[in-house]
Amino acid sequence: MFLSKIFFFLVTFAAAVALTVALVMPRPAQRALVSEEHRRLKVACGVINILLTDDARNRVELAGSFARTSEIIGPLDAASSADKLDDTRMKQVRGIGENVMKTIEGRKPDFAILIDKRGRVVARVRLDENDYGDLLAGRPLVDDALAGYLRDDLWVQNGTMYFVTASPVIKRDPPVEYVGAVVLGHAVTNELAQKLVGPLGVDVGFFLGNDTVAGSKTIALDTKPMEGVIGKLTGGDLARDCQANEPIPLTASKEPYTALVARLPGEATQKKAYYSVFIKRPDEIGAGATLKIVKQSDLAPGNFPWIFVGGTFLIALAGGIGLMFWEADRPLRRLTADTVRLAKGEVERLAEDQHPGKFGSIARSVNIHIDKLGRDAKSAKKDLDQLLGPAPEGSLGTIDLLATALPPSRPGGPATAAAAPPPSEFRFGESGPMAAKPPPRTPTPPPMRVNTPPPFKSMTPPLGQASTPPPPITVPPPMASTPAPPAMLGTASPPLTLDDDILGAPSVDAEPEVDPYFKQVFDQFVGTKKTCGESTAGLTFEKFAEKLVRNRDELMAKTGCRDVRFTVYMKDGKAALKATPVKDEG
Amino acid sequence: MKPLRVSVFAASVVVGGFADVATANTVVGRLDLPPAPERPPVATKGFLDRVDNPLAPVKGVNVAANMIVVLESAEGKVETPAQVNWDLAGESFSRPVVGAAVGAEVVIKNTSKTARNLVAAEDPKLIPAGPINPTGPKSFRPTEPKIYNIGDKDAPHLKGVLVVVGTKHIATVDGAGRFDFGDVPEGSYKLRVFYKSGWIDKPDETVHVGAKGKTEVSVKVPAGYPLKK
Repeated sequence: MFLSKIFFFLVTFAAAVALTVALVMPRPAQRALVSEEHRRLKVACGVINILLTDDARNRVELAGSFARTSEIIGPLDAASSADKLDDTRMKQVRGIGENVMKTIEGRKPDFAILIDKRGRVVARVRLDENDYGDLLAGRPLVDDALAGYLRDDLWVQNGTMYFVTASPVIKRDPPVEYVGAVVLGHAVTNELAQKLVGPLGVDVGFFLGNDTVAGSKTIALDTKPMEGVIGKLTGGDLARDCQANEPIPLTASKEPYTALVARLPGEATQKKAYYSVFIKRPDEIGAGATLKIVKQSDLAPGNFPWIFVGGTFLIALAGGIGLMFWEADRPLRRLTADTVRLAKGEVERLAEDQHPGKFGSIARSVNIHIDKLGRDAKSAKKDLDQLLGPAPEGSLGTIDLLATALPPSRPGGPATAAAAPPPSEFRFGESGPMAAKPPPRTPTPPPMRVNTPPPFKSMTPPLGQASTPPPPITVPPPMASTPAPPAMLGTASPPLTLDDDILGAPSVDAEPEVDPYFKQVFDQFVGTKKTCGESTAGLTFEKFAEKLVRNRDELMAKTGCRDVRFTVYMKDGKAALKATPVKDEG
Repeated sequence: MKPLRVSVFAASVVVGGFADVATANTVVGRLDLPPAPERPPVATKGFLDRVDNPLAPVKGVNVAANMIVVLESAEGKVETPAQVNWDLAGESFSRPVVGAAVGAEVVIKNTSKTARNLVAAEDPKLIPAGPINPTGPKSFRPTEPKIYNIGDKDAPHLKGVLVVVGTKHIATVDGAGRFDFGDVPEGSYKLRVFYKSGWIDKPDETVHVGAKGKTEVSVKVPAGYPLKK
């Protein structure tokens, strides 16, 4: 069983390891998922920054093209020379600007501002069209454009964020000089946001502090965490925010999201303008959740190591069964066979050395018990002998006949008493007809008492059943032609031999032969009845002898004993007679 | 250059109503300006760096607009201050740098269409609290010689420098470096030049103004426009 225990330990340990792995495995997977989500957000954030930068380049080129339009150079040059701008000039320039706007293909600006070289607004197109004459110089974008630079910026006007670009307007006819500038603005809209994130699989939102300006998804994100991150960012290269910042968890309509924020450049930076790339956070996966998302294809033979799992299972099963057979089934079967042989009497004891481990212990325990029973039986026999007197030689003892039926076999040796007859106790008056013919004489003296094995403890006659009889009057089996003296009660008569029965005793035709042993028993029985005050009327020797013969024959047929010895005794104040089989020949 | 000169004089702060006309003189001069410094880097860069246009050279900084010249009495006489008008025109002041005498009333007039909340960084209480509505003025009186940076936190690009000095003789400079003081009483004066955010680091020029006639002054500004620490 040692190997079985080791095997069981290993299998259990392997199962515990497998269970631990199954429970722990989702956690690294969850971390990997989160890490992948963060990486995805950073990539998307960087891509959006690149797209916005590329868009800025296109818009700057568009502003340059707009500023180079010949139709606007002359009017701006004229406006720059005017001390005061009027409505007529404004409408003229605005019309020109509108016409130029119409020629733009693709994404058109949401507004255009035409500025003279003093920095005054000559006209506005598509946004606050009736406002003009105000000084726009001072804004970095306009100042740079008036100085000759092309550049972009982000403006916030009336809660709307604009990507703005500016270009100087230069009179190319000699003398070449700056005559003004053009500012184009593209509003940050939901459409722009959706266009930015189209292929990325994330969402983006543009914010001004806690105000949402636009987004690819209509959702109310909790801006506080994002503002907290933006508030901590000072200086540095804004273009590296996507790489430098870490994704943060936030909620929108009680749904969890993960967001990565990055500052927007330009003037809008000072108004806490930023954009956020966000994605819905996947549910945390545990062992149960992992099982829920297992697909059928995951268990396909190509994706799952069925051969390994099945082989491991079969190996474990075969190992377990083999060890059970080797260490349990086979020894048990051997012990069973050994006990069957013991029961059959083929062996006296179990072979302890042939049974390993616990089975050997069982065999030893059984053997110990057999030995104990033997000792108990000897002790009981000794006690009975003291009570009842010594049993005649060759007899199984009175005790055998007082007990119940003997077991068919008993351990410890040949079942010499296996065929011991049931108690043969009868009263003459209650018995049937007596045998007319005496039992055959045994040619040899009564067999000696069996010295092995002692009677079973369970065969010990209950003392109560014996009703504490007086010391039994043992009548030994009759000796051939040597009848025992009638007065010799309690002494054993020499048994009759077979030769005596058949050859020694002459047959008498006229009168029935009187068996001296039976006669002796009869006399003892009559004497005891008289002693007990019982009537002996109707009690004749013939009937008595017939009864004894029949009883003897029955016992001999049942037990296979060679002879039967009868004992007269008193029970409950009445005379009684016992028949005791005599088995051995001595 | 006529429009520029017009604007410069319109913003001139010298109002000599209270001067002693009998002893007044005129001081004219010219600053010998070195080449203008390059434009500073972009403070609020967009997605891209600014690029030069391919058709004309980029203009340098307008140095004159950021300069004022003052004449301070060598005897330390305190002169009666004059009112100073400073227009807030749209996204910037009419002049980025303006001078005012101690005790003079500075009147800021918002000629734009946007209300502004102006605050002096050095003294938040210098300018009365509250927005300056379009077309509405707001006035205050500085009480000590000091340089004030005035701006609107909602419009970081909107910045102006108010230079408070102990003299009423303050002149702006045109694009050619010329300046003109009118009604300067007779006496000796120190001429100082302010540029952008501080006083030009150079030896003081002493100007002797006679009882009559025009006094001409020529001042050389060091290259690189160094400022006193």
